[in-house]
Amino acid sequence: MSDAILLNVILFLPVLGGAVLLALPRPRDDLVRGLSMLVMILQLVLALWLYLQFEARVPGLQFETRVPWIAAWGVHYHVGMDGLNLLLVLLTAFLGPLVVASAFSSITRDVKLFHGLLLFLQFTMIGAFLAQDLFLFYVFWEAMLIPMFLMIGMWGGERRIYATLKFFLYTAFGSILMLAAVIYLGYFVLSSTGAPSFAFADLYALDLPVSTQTWLLAAFGLSFAIKVPMMPLHTWLPDAHVEAPTVGSVILAGVLLKMGTYGFVKLGFPLFPEATQLATPLIMTLAVVSILYGAGLALVQDDIKKIIAYSSVSHLGYVMLGLVSYNLLGIQGAIIQMVSHGLVAGGLFLMVGMLYERCHSRDLAAYGGLARLLPVYSVFFMILTLASIGLPTTSGFTGEFLVLLGAFHAAWPQFEQGVTYPLVLASLAVLGIVLGALYMLRLARRLLFGEARAPVAGLRDLDRREWSILALVVVAIFYIGLYPNDFLRKTEQAAIEYQDRVLPAQKRGLGQ
Amino acid sequence: MTPEGLLLAALPEHLLLLGILVILVTDLLSDRPRDPFMTALVTVLAATGAAAWLYSTGHTGAPFPGHFSVDAEGLAAKALLAGLTLPVLLLTRAERLDSRFAMLLLASLYGAFLMMSADSLLLLFFGLEILSLPLYALVVLGYQRPESAEAAMKYLVIGGVGTAVLLMGLSLTLGATGGLAVGDFRTALAADDILAQGAVVLVVAAFMLKAAIVPFHAWAPDAYEGATVPVTAFMATVVKGAVVLALVRLFGAAPAGPALVGVLVALPLSSMAWGNLVAMRQQGFRRLVAYSSIAHAGYLFFALLGAPEGRFEAMAFYVLVYGLTTTLALACLPTGPDGQRDRLEALKGLYHRSPLAAILIAIAMLSLAGIPPFPGFVAKFLIFSTVMEAGWVMVAVLGLVASYLGIYLYLRVIQYLFMSPAPARSETVPATGIARTAAVLMLAAVLLIGVLPGLVLGWF
Repeated sequence: MSDAILLNVILFLPVLGGAVLLALPRPRDDLVRGLSMLVMILQLVLALWLYLQFEARVPGLQFETRVPWIAAWGVHYHVGMDGLNLLLVLLTAFLGPLVVASAFSSITRDVKLFHGLLLFLQFTMIGAFLAQDLFLFYVFWEAMLIPMFLMIGMWGGERRIYATLKFFLYTAFGSILMLAAVIYLGYFVLSSTGAPSFAFADLYALDLPVSTQTWLLAAFGLSFAIKVPMMPLHTWLPDAHVEAPTVGSVILAGVLLKMGTYGFVKLGFPLFPEATQLATPLIMTLAVVSILYGAGLALVQDDIKKIIAYSSVSHLGYVMLGLVSYNLLGIQGAIIQMVSHGLVAGGLFLMVGMLYERCHSRDLAAYGGLARLLPVYSVFFMILTLASIGLPTTSGFTGEFLVLLGAFHAAWPQFEQGVTYPLVLASLAVLGIVLGALYMLRLARRLLFGEARAPVAGLRDLDRREWSILALVVVAIFYIGLYPNDFLRKTEQAAIEYQDRVLPAQKRGLGQ
Repeated sequence: MTPEGLLLAALPEHLLLLGILVILVTDLLSDRPRDPFMTALVTVLAATGAAAWLYSTGHTGAPFPGHFSVDAEGLAAKALLAGLTLPVLLLTRAERLDSRFAMLLLASLYGAFLMMSADSLLLLFFGLEILSLPLYALVVLGYQRPESAEAAMKYLVIGGVGTAVLLMGLSLTLGATGGLAVGDFRTALAADDILAQGAVVLVVAAFMLKAAIVPFHAWAPDAYEGATVPVTAFMATVVKGAVVLALVRLFGAAPAGPALVGVLVALPLSSMAWGNLVAMRQQGFRRLVAYSSIAHAGYLFFALLGAPEGRFEAMAFYVLVYGLTTTLALACLPTGPDGQRDRLEALKGLYHRSPLAAILIAIAMLSLAGIPPFPGFVAKFLIFSTVMEAGWVMVAVLGLVASYLGIYLYLRVIQYLFMSPAPARSETVPATGIARTAAVLMLAAVLLIGVLPGLVLGWF
């Protein structure tokens, strides 16, 4: 079977599995879980296979499929892989079996619907990453909201309805402006080339006036920035995270937030390069503000989920900072940081979920000395804490270090020319790492050490299923931390292409 | 025109008329009430098939030159409207309605057919009246509540005003251009003297009233609530579709004139915003559908701003998708004691009582909200790209923002269906039997359009 066909199999496998699942009349819960697990594992195996087949340093898309979908509008079903979505698809497929395994114990009501939604969500997320046609991308981008909306609203905590409506309405507001921009781009292509098209490749080639670019970037950017989320558009995130069921939080933090940053690097910045150059100071400032503001808020929370939620705001700030450094170090660092954050935050949310299943409390004050009560749990928690801080040998280090290196590389020549703000912002971003250590160590200290107490007596430590999930996450974290070369090699070409599209010719080559 | 041509060109109309006669005669001849369901269903099926067949053979003709002519767009519109009547008829099954109901429904559809072929303003007026008059009776028929009579009365009075406005507009057209052909109206559209512009604005206002555009919308919530479910579905889909499609036919290839453009921008926009805002506060499902239909009428009228070539396609596709999804939602409503099915509260926790119905209503709601992968998204995309391609970029953006307001109200329904606990004592029973079959058929159509919109777009 050719690899291009495999790519389509990866995409459609979950939705077919979900359809089979929903069509079964009253299946036993075990059957539902087993079937979902099977689909997810198969998807992961195929994704790994494609990852190994993916050739580094080959320009353009690989495993491409392109067939007309709505011929009259020039819309194609067009999917393919490049260095940008390669790792994100792998990450999504990697988290799939883990969340199904975590749902074994955390989801007991409406099991069939939950897994159906989960598989549909998996389909839309991978579809959004793989899409190479703006119309197709938008369909996946928007469809993704539906399963998440129901997941938070049906299986969430006490304020789930408020949280899920807020999540949907926030995101949909960005989307509606993006839709206006999508329609406008389609109209612009039609009027400038005479043939309708929504293909990314055709859109990159457009010669848009700068004023138009600014409007379109604002529309796309607002939508993506809400999803990232960048301060000040982040307020939906803590609510959604706190009220979502564990699986929902893991997917939100692990994959959905990356949709925002992926949107910027794949569409927002390369489609509107001149406007992006003009907006760089603003984007950089917001990125650094997000880093510091998220970290600062994480420092004062007492709800464990909120701490991790705000830490996401902070960590994704690094991704944005790396993307606007416009050099390979920063861009590749940003890509690694996306994957790393998916693993680390996903892992932390899994762990909080495991704790919550035992004690039904997320209040930090209710816990202490878990190191003695739950030794295995505590070891894993500590590893994830250190990875979140960015200790060398973990994935967090690779990502954040490269991003900061990239930011300084970009800032220094400008500083020598008398432009000081990039250097100031890059220095402030370093402060974020210090704050990150502060809030994560505070969390670990109060949770794991000190006087032993928990809301429920007689806690049992992690069972085999639970520590297997976490062991996989930890292995992946160390793999990226110790041996990032393979990932870097396979993303390099995509980073160069991004750089070529965004940077004006005379600036290219800085800091390579 | 040869007799064969006369027979062939108006075949869908003849079939409808035949069906009405058969129902009437059998009802007169038999001493006990007859169930007209099968006759009506076969009639509408035959009319749909005839229109689709004539359309596929590319039939054109003018059996009554200057009054009645058949062309591709008209036939497509007839097939579409008759096709949308089919699920409405299936819904009547649950209500056990009598022959009067069937005859009135078919007569109303006959009026819609006339409008799709009208070449003169007089025939257009006749068609609109034949479309509307049975509706007043349909609203009051079958439901034993005082509100129904009140709703029908309101509808009659306001509808009468609409008729008067239309007649006034038509006489001004006659005054301004000296004729009552559709072409004369197009001349008036392009003219910039005050008389012609006044005529055009009055005619369009009358159509807006029939389609329930703000500020002419006040009759709709009461009428929708007072009627039985199939009649609500018929008014929201077929009648609204017929009115806007007739307007497209009336406009032809003419662009909207200067005075009209302001009306066509301002009123649909306020319709979208107001309809969506007020719908949020409704406690009854059918009032919600009414206000949502006011908003959707706004999108439909928006298409008139577009370039003449794309108008019909955009509007027909929207009518199809909107009609299917609205009927789908209404078909899945749980039935209960009188009046109870109107309360939105009755939908609470429906997923746990009747998963299929809840999922179908949710799909309909998401499609109405314009969320992909459901077909409402493609329909909305088409309307707004038509508007933008005509150069109305800012207007399209405002329209999209107004449509954003609607998302909340559809989400609220889904929230009731899936996220609220079911009321402790619930007397409602989920819709069953043929209504469910209709719903599943409509679902298949909705999914087909969602997955392969290109195929369906090719039909128009």
